[in-house]
Amino acid sequence: MNRLQRFLKTWLLLELLSGLGLTFRRMFKPKFTVHVPEEKTPQGPRFRGLHAQRRYPNGEERCIACKLCEAVCPALAITIDIAEREDGSRRTTRYDVDLSKCIYCGLCMESCPVDSIVLTRIYEYHGEQHSDLCFTKDMLLAIGDHYEAQIAKNLEEDAPYR
Amino acid sequence: MSETVIDKSGWLNLEINGKPVQMPPGSTVMDAAQTLKVFIPHFCYHKKLSLAASCRMCLVQVEKIPKPVPACATPVSEGMKVWTRSEVALAAQQSVMEFLLINHPLDCPVCDQGGECQLQDVAVGYGKGCSQYQEIKRVVPGKDLGPLVSAAEMSRCIQCTRCVRFGDEIAGQMELGLIRRGDRVEIVPFVGETVESELSGNMIDLCPVGALTSKPFRYQARSWELSRRRSVSPHDALGANLIVQLKRNQVVRVQPFENEAINECWLSDRDRFSYEALNSEARLTRPLVKKDGVLIEADWQEALPLAAARLQNIIERDGGEALGVLISPHATLEEAALMSRLARALGCDNIDHRLRQQDFSQDSKNVSWLGMPIADVSQLKAALFVGSFLRHDQPLLTARVRQAARHGAAISSLHSVRADWHLPLLYENVVPPSQLVTALAALVVAAHRETKATQALPAAFNEVTPTEKDTAIVRTLLAAPERAAIFLGSFAQQHEHAALLHALAQRLADDTGAILGVLPEAANSVGLALTGAQPQKGAQKGGLNARTMLEQPRKAYVLLHTEAPFDVAQGSAALTALRQADFVLSLSPFRPAEEGASLNALPDIVLPDIVLPIAPFTETSGTFINMEGRVQSFHGVAPPLGETRPGWQVIAALAGLLDQPFAETTPEAVRASCVPSADSVKARLSNRADTVLQALPKAAQKTVERVAAVPIYQADPLVRRAPSLQRTALAALPKVAMNAALAARLNLIKGGAVRIRQGNHAGENEVTAVLSWICDETLPANTVRFDMAHPLTAGFDVYGEFHLEATP
Amino acid sequence: MIQWLADFFGSMGTPGLVIWTMLKIVAITLPLPLCVAFLTLAERRVIGAMQSRCGPIRVGPNGILQPFADVLKMLFKEVVIPARANRLLFRFAPLLALAPAVAAWGTIPFSENLWLADLNAGLLYIMMMSSIGVYGIILAGWASNSRYALLGSLRSTAQLISYELAMGFALVGVILLANTLNLGDIVRHQAGGFWHWYFLPLFPLFVVYFIAAIAETNRHPFDMAEGESELVAGFHVEYSGIVFALFFLAEYMNMILLSVLAATLFLGGWMAPLPFFNELPLLGDGFLWLALKVAGLLFIFLWVRASFPRYRYDQIMRLGWKVFIPLTLVWIVVVAVAVRWSALFGGGA
Repeated sequence: MNRLQRFLKTWLLLELLSGLGLTFRRMFKPKFTVHVPEEKTPQGPRFRGLHAQRRYPNGEERCIACKLCEAVCPALAITIDIAEREDGSRRTTRYDVDLSKCIYCGLCMESCPVDSIVLTRIYEYHGEQHSDLCFTKDMLLAIGDHYEAQIAKNLEEDAPYR
Repeated sequence: MSETVIDKSGWLNLEINGKPVQMPPGSTVMDAAQTLKVFIPHFCYHKKLSLAASCRMCLVQVEKIPKPVPACATPVSEGMKVWTRSEVALAAQQSVMEFLLINHPLDCPVCDQGGECQLQDVAVGYGKGCSQYQEIKRVVPGKDLGPLVSAAEMSRCIQCTRCVRFGDEIAGQMELGLIRRGDRVEIVPFVGETVESELSGNMIDLCPVGALTSKPFRYQARSWELSRRRSVSPHDALGANLIVQLKRNQVVRVQPFENEAINECWLSDRDRFSYEALNSEARLTRPLVKKDGVLIEADWQEALPLAAARLQNIIERDGGEALGVLISPHATLEEAALMSRLARALGCDNIDHRLRQQDFSQDSKNVSWLGMPIADVSQLKAALFVGSFLRHDQPLLTARVRQAARHGAAISSLHSVRADWHLPLLYENVVPPSQLVTALAALVVAAHRETKATQALPAAFNEVTPTEKDTAIVRTLLAAPERAAIFLGSFAQQHEHAALLHALAQRLADDTGAILGVLPEAANSVGLALTGAQPQKGAQKGGLNARTMLEQPRKAYVLLHTEAPFDVAQGSAALTALRQADFVLSLSPFRPAEEGASLNALPDIVLPDIVLPIAPFTETSGTFINMEGRVQSFHGVAPPLGETRPGWQVIAALAGLLDQPFAETTPEAVRASCVPSADSVKARLSNRADTVLQALPKAAQKTVERVAAVPIYQADPLVRRAPSLQRTALAALPKVAMNAALAARLNLIKGGAVRIRQGNHAGENEVTAVLSWICDETLPANTVRFDMAHPLTAGFDVYGEFHLEATP
Repeated sequence: MIQWLADFFGSMGTPGLVIWTMLKIVAITLPLPLCVAFLTLAERRVIGAMQSRCGPIRVGPNGILQPFADVLKMLFKEVVIPARANRLLFRFAPLLALAPAVAAWGTIPFSENLWLADLNAGLLYIMMMSSIGVYGIILAGWASNSRYALLGSLRSTAQLISYELAMGFALVGVILLANTLNLGDIVRHQAGGFWHWYFLPLFPLFVVYFIAAIAETNRHPFDMAEGESELVAGFHVEYSGIVFALFFLAEYMNMILLSVLAATLFLGGWMAPLPFFNELPLLGDGFLWLALKVAGLLFIFLWVRASFPRYRYDQIMRLGWKVFIPLTLVWIVVVAVAVRWSALFGGGA
């Protein structure tokens, strides 16, 4: 009996037909496409987009050049040079993020002891050449300054879950 | 070390974590754990330092002892049972860790120690993960410990006192101490003082936390981003093993590679911090060619053929003898061997590396060396140092001698200055330089009388009467046969009667049964002597040595790693000789000193005609043979900077252009052909003097005699350019030291200066310098000390007559 | 009007005939690329829909101009010829692939009296043309001087040869029933409603034919020749720009051709499914019905692509040689016996 069933199943192409049936039914179901840019998907506070560096409210940059983000970065996208500033504090003289290497895993943000490097919600950016995607410290600080309100809100919303 | 069968009778049996182990009586639980490779967390314990048992981190549980005990301070006993990871031990360790962290700031992200911090590691491995301490942490103000050691963050200190014990026990200078009690306790230098020890860098390694960190390395890199490569120190003849650490192919730090036979786990500051010169502005990255009296950067394609052509011209015109080759004793064996080979192929035997020597009469085939393995120095029972600036010349060997002295060795010194070695000297004999031979002869006579040796002394010795001190010194040597040594220091080797001093020391050693050792002055002195970088005896016409090469000016000079006025004893003769030469070719990693630099003794510095940039020790493969005859080869650890090329390549290219091509083209081939095997080195190392003792010289009647050391941070081109080292107290401006009687005779006033004048050997071109003077009552009469090799003093002939006069 | 034009040119003698034939060729070949263009659009939309997404909808109203955008893109792209490739053959290969795909259309009957050439051996001619196409592929793979391209072309050829056999056997059944090789006559044999169409008595052969057609055109799930995951893109990996477009065109034209052939041989060509439709205006026998049938078959092509994963190479070969060929052979015998039996004992199949 089983053999007969199997024979029929094989030669009548029943499995293929059921597969075809599935795709055919799918054709009439509603589509999931989100029509960017007219529509946008909702974002959570943990959204990991473009990087930014933050400052304290008094304008002092948060980054203390501990190099943990550089060490933890699995894609080796972060390059840091450090030096002692005139006031004796430990600061970066160079903080480059190569966005073409970055995989947006957010480990830099996790490792940062002072919440300096963060990933913002910005994801619509582009570069026309590779060098456009190498963000320097000044650029990152500028992004941080511009979106500080949003960044602070993200961190606050996410704080209970950390 | 050879395999020796250890007699284990009387050893104690104990168990650690259930594993049995046998230990000799008197060893501690920590020793036993290390034998078993069981790790017990610790901070204050260090194998090379005395026990403090102050950190309490190494608490372990021992059977039948109700409380946990510190493993580092608990002696083993028969049948002892120890648990290092039991509940009791772990709880004790966790509590101690919590206490240690109470006042330790949580500033790991900005701490230079982060990533290589013992406290971090142990806290992760043995800590609790949380603290019950809610109160305010204490703050300890930072200290200024000089330009090498940063103590800006003393709040991090956990009072393990390793640095204090190091200063006391290894460096011989207790420069740090622990004051106050309880939570006010802190590590401080003496009031108004800093750390000036020449071994201070080791405190950085010792400090288990980030309290003492390296100042030049401060905020430079993290430990995890450094690539570590092995190398050998190019400074003193100890040949300390280094771990050179690089970030993006740039040397950013040097740490010791532990080698019990050589440097144990220490490094001198010179070895540790000279790396700063490697990437400094002073480095030369492109060849320089002199045009209209000014050095201008040029291509290799231009400079190298030009150098070859000019050498060729001079040799064709005046023959090979018109050439003089001065090789720095800091050059690698390969460079020196190839350079000597090239010079001889060009018909020139005027090759020398003994740049500061003036008596070449002992010219045996033997190569002088330490006379014993370095490690044996710590085991000595008695030692006599003749004319040695030990602490400045061989800082780490001094630590070995100090170790011997701590174990009761009788150390004596015969010198023209008081020894400042920071170790207890049993006897010290300070005589003017001209009396050094007589003083040593007195010791020989004393030894002869004490031992009643059969071999009679020459008649000249009858006039010498040994003092009681001399006899006492000889007795210390006699008291420890096999474990006694006589060492000839750099001052004795550079003495005008060096050969005689050597022969006297040899006789003394023979009569007392002590070992005779010579302390070579530079990293590769032994190696270069072995490789024939000096005039060959037995050649048809022996070449000129370093001294005569400068006194009988040549038409052309080749300087390998040599900086003419600084690295030679006859500064003004060197200047004159180089100035009159038709062609001076310099192979150096550094720019020549700029004209008008602060060299007021060198009004008209001589610039070479062509400078070819060659690699320093980090950028070339090479070999050094250290004072115990150990052949240490190393690889380049970094790519050559700019257009710099390894020295052996440059010499080989030069040889090719001069139609004397070498067959070797790879570093391995060069090494194979230039570096002698360890056995052949052993065969040629001997301190036996071939000078026959006869007459003793009459002390020359000089009005004022000079003692000159090579300052520790002026010894070679590399340290001269290391900025942090140059800021240390040991690198201070040279001063003229003399006793009060001489000062009064010269009408010197306190706080005033003294002008030194010297006509050069031809009586022209006067060299002068104005230095401040200090009163030093320990100096012998009519003797002044001002050091050589400093920009202010390099222009003087060390052994020439000079004039002192007071200036306001 | 067509009849009138035919008469008009016919009255002009040989030159007229030539002009008339040329006109007919143009009338067939011009709409073909257009069909291909919209077939690609349809493909992307259909597959999109089956995967619950939209497909191209941005260019023109509802994406209708997407094909033209694609063509423009192709035209402006650089044609890169690999170093050390055979430059002549490299450029010649796409033409060799395209030309038979177009030429085969010569004997297709679009309706009762609408065709280019009423060839008695029409079916053989088409078989021949579709087989020649493989030379283009072989040459492309060879001339590219690339191991991927060569492997792709070899696979493609092996696959084509294997399935050509099964396909040929499938067609033998049709020939047995129709007793002719003339495509027009085959269609006329199926006159009188869909129960006279050959797909009913020859159902297994029809299925085999269709699957073989998919394999012949290197479509999913038989696209071993392209095999992105292992061969990057198969024989045309080195082609770019307009030269690549020619291959693309050839593949899709072949798809349409084989669909037209299937409609002609098994689905009654231009015939309406029910004779009753002939009574109604516009829905009578004619080109419209052929177009509808072809559209349906092409939809199945796309549908299959959206549904099935790619076969493994050895599975393809097994299916061709061990399943299809025996199956068709058996069914040919059955058909032959049935035909013979009905000829002996009267009655009609």
